[in-house]
Amino acid sequence: MKVAYYSPMPAERSGVADYSALLLPALRERIEVTVVRRGRKRPPRGVDLGLYHVGNNPDAHAWIVDALRRRPGVVVLHDFVLHHLVAGMTVGRRDGHGYLDAMETEHGVVGRLLGHGVLDKRIPPLWESRPEDFPLAGFVLEHATGLIVHSDYVCGLARDAGYERPIWVVPHPAWPVPGITPERLASGPTIGCFGVVNASKRVPELLRAFASVRRRTADVTLLLVGPTSPGFDLDRRLQRLGLADDGVLREGWVDERRLWGLMAGADVCVNLRHPTMGETSGSVVRSLSLGKPLIVSDVGWFSELPGDVALKVPVDDREVETLEAGLELLATREDVRVEMGRAAAELARREHGLDRVAELYAAALEEAAGGDAVGDAVLREVSEAAADVGISPDTVEAGEIAGRLAEVELG
Amino acid sequence: MKIAVLRPQIPFARGGAEIFTDRLVEELCARDHEAELVTLPFKWYPGTRVLTQAFMWRIVDLDEADGTPIDVVVATKFPSYLVRHRNKRVWLVHQFRQAYELDRTELGQFDESPEDRALRRKVQRLDRIALGEAARLFTTSRNVAERLERSTGLAAEVLPHPPQGLPYRCQGYGDFVLSVNRLDRAKRIDLLLEAAALDSSLEVVIAGDGPDRERLEALARERGLDGRAHFAGRVGEDELAELYGRCLAVYYAPIDEDFGMVPFEAFLSEKPVLTTTDAGGPLEVVTDRRTGLVVSPDAAELARAAGWLREHRDEAASLGRAGKAVAADVTWERAISRLLS
Repeated sequence: MKVAYYSPMPAERSGVADYSALLLPALRERIEVTVVRRGRKRPPRGVDLGLYHVGNNPDAHAWIVDALRRRPGVVVLHDFVLHHLVAGMTVGRRDGHGYLDAMETEHGVVGRLLGHGVLDKRIPPLWESRPEDFPLAGFVLEHATGLIVHSDYVCGLARDAGYERPIWVVPHPAWPVPGITPERLASGPTIGCFGVVNASKRVPELLRAFASVRRRTADVTLLLVGPTSPGFDLDRRLQRLGLADDGVLREGWVDERRLWGLMAGADVCVNLRHPTMGETSGSVVRSLSLGKPLIVSDVGWFSELPGDVALKVPVDDREVETLEAGLELLATREDVRVEMGRAAAELARREHGLDRVAELYAAALEEAAGGDAVGDAVLREVSEAAADVGISPDTVEAGEIAGRLAEVELG
Repeated sequence: MKIAVLRPQIPFARGGAEIFTDRLVEELCARDHEAELVTLPFKWYPGTRVLTQAFMWRIVDLDEADGTPIDVVVATKFPSYLVRHRNKRVWLVHQFRQAYELDRTELGQFDESPEDRALRRKVQRLDRIALGEAARLFTTSRNVAERLERSTGLAAEVLPHPPQGLPYRCQGYGDFVLSVNRLDRAKRIDLLLEAAALDSSLEVVIAGDGPDRERLEALARERGLDGRAHFAGRVGEDELAELYGRCLAVYYAPIDEDFGMVPFEAFLSEKPVLTTTDAGGPLEVVTDRRTGLVVSPDAAELARAAGWLREHRDEAASLGRAGKAVAADVTWERAISRLLS
């Protein structure tokens, strides 16, 4: 079986490109894969199926969705909220009508009116202000013959959106831990937070909770690694909380190797967010591989992490207090850190192992490519046998046979 | 209890699974249960026939028989475990191996077309669904349990069972190595013949029949083994017990076998087992230099091992007796007690 593989690839700086670079060698051990050159619109000759990696970034994914719209296939949905992508493929191409149509298709007349508001610059762009309320995933789902998603959460969102074709939940693969020396930047317990520094990563809440913990546990350090989003005034916040000179270490963008080193040197990893776009976190998967205890927001995919691996913080009125309690627990109790770290490494091995993930991909793609033909053949043979003994389609007996076929996913 | 033991039937074929399930019914009845064998024919080709034939088990109603509830069903092989029942217990002999470890080998059945690849995945999906429904899930060996967990994520309890009841005895340690097996390629009888070709003192008796017999007999002729390789064909119980009783050792080295009862039968006859490092299930009871000899799957290694046993008959007897202690530990009493607990 031959699959045309559409994805951003390194050296593009994209999480999905890294993901594909990790997955492809293992997938190629199982099925024949042709990686489609960026921008190519027609599928390569002789392929049985197209596999389209879709995320929210129009620069990385618009060409892939263009190809999908020409030839439907299996979509790997890396984000459920695709408003930014759709805006890029419509408004960004001077196709305001396309944007209005997408808004109306999924959100009715209200959606269309809001779209007009955006185009007329009367309201802020929805892809920046409220994308989670207008995900616009239907723009892609309508062309997907099957979906691969990374969480039950996104599977549920797709079903809620009316998607009825097959969905396979395939965990995010774990990177093999490179041979690195842990880089410890502080002597006491270090809490690492890796990724873009901004409000949706709950950095304001993290800083407030950390400042409280720091007042009682002076040797604890917070390490923030990643670029700061434009408009997010980190320095002012640190000053206001008394963290400007002490307690918080800051690293901007770091390369992959340094990222592993810094993460390995941390005692606890924190990965918060709200709202979620239905994404998984490569950073969380890396920290699982390293056997680090985690603190995450109790949202989306993050909620599906087992309780013995991650402390989950609900995004509610008591978020900062809950976060503070979690930070304090993990900063002061080495035994808890060790136990959670062990469970994290085991989870990475068991659920996110590359071979397992590649096998799940192969199963999904093989089912997608030949499953309909097999299903049709089974139904034909069973219905012919039933008809031979006088069971016609509209009888109770036929209904019972159909029910039994459905139970074992044969019909 | 009223217990239905479920077994797919391949018309005109009989092997280990048939012996096992027949005996299970007998042993259940001996313990005052009302047990009955339920079979359906199974044909796994061509194309989607593997699924439609399997599906027949799904429409069988075994909730009750003639107005009396059936308390337990015990399914054993694919696809008998597709049956629906409130108290379905599975004692798994093996899955449909062509869809798993035999895929893309000469013993596989599915080609590279999208339809065949999807068909194989459908079989795997059936397994996950049907085995996942079981109230209790047992396998006859650790090897089968590990394969099951790797392929479906389902955890099973390992529950070995004793071999067929024969008048086992030891009548000394003769000059021949005995092979007891169905003659097909996966059983790797040719390796034993190649070993005999390398050691002119090695005599072999091959009990059993099967599709590979003609090729094996031709191989024996080509290697000049006439008189040293005897094809006994399918033998009766008394003759089999006699062969076990008189042989030097028993050869049993299929490729990644589920488990196989032959090592236990050899042990009950106080005979060591010659096997290979890639034999799978047999390695759970055949331990090198404790209950037999385990060598790499190489004819010269095998010939050397057989020669060593011939020259060290006291040690061979000692290995055989150690095996008997292992086999004695596996009883129907314990197995049935766990199966129904």
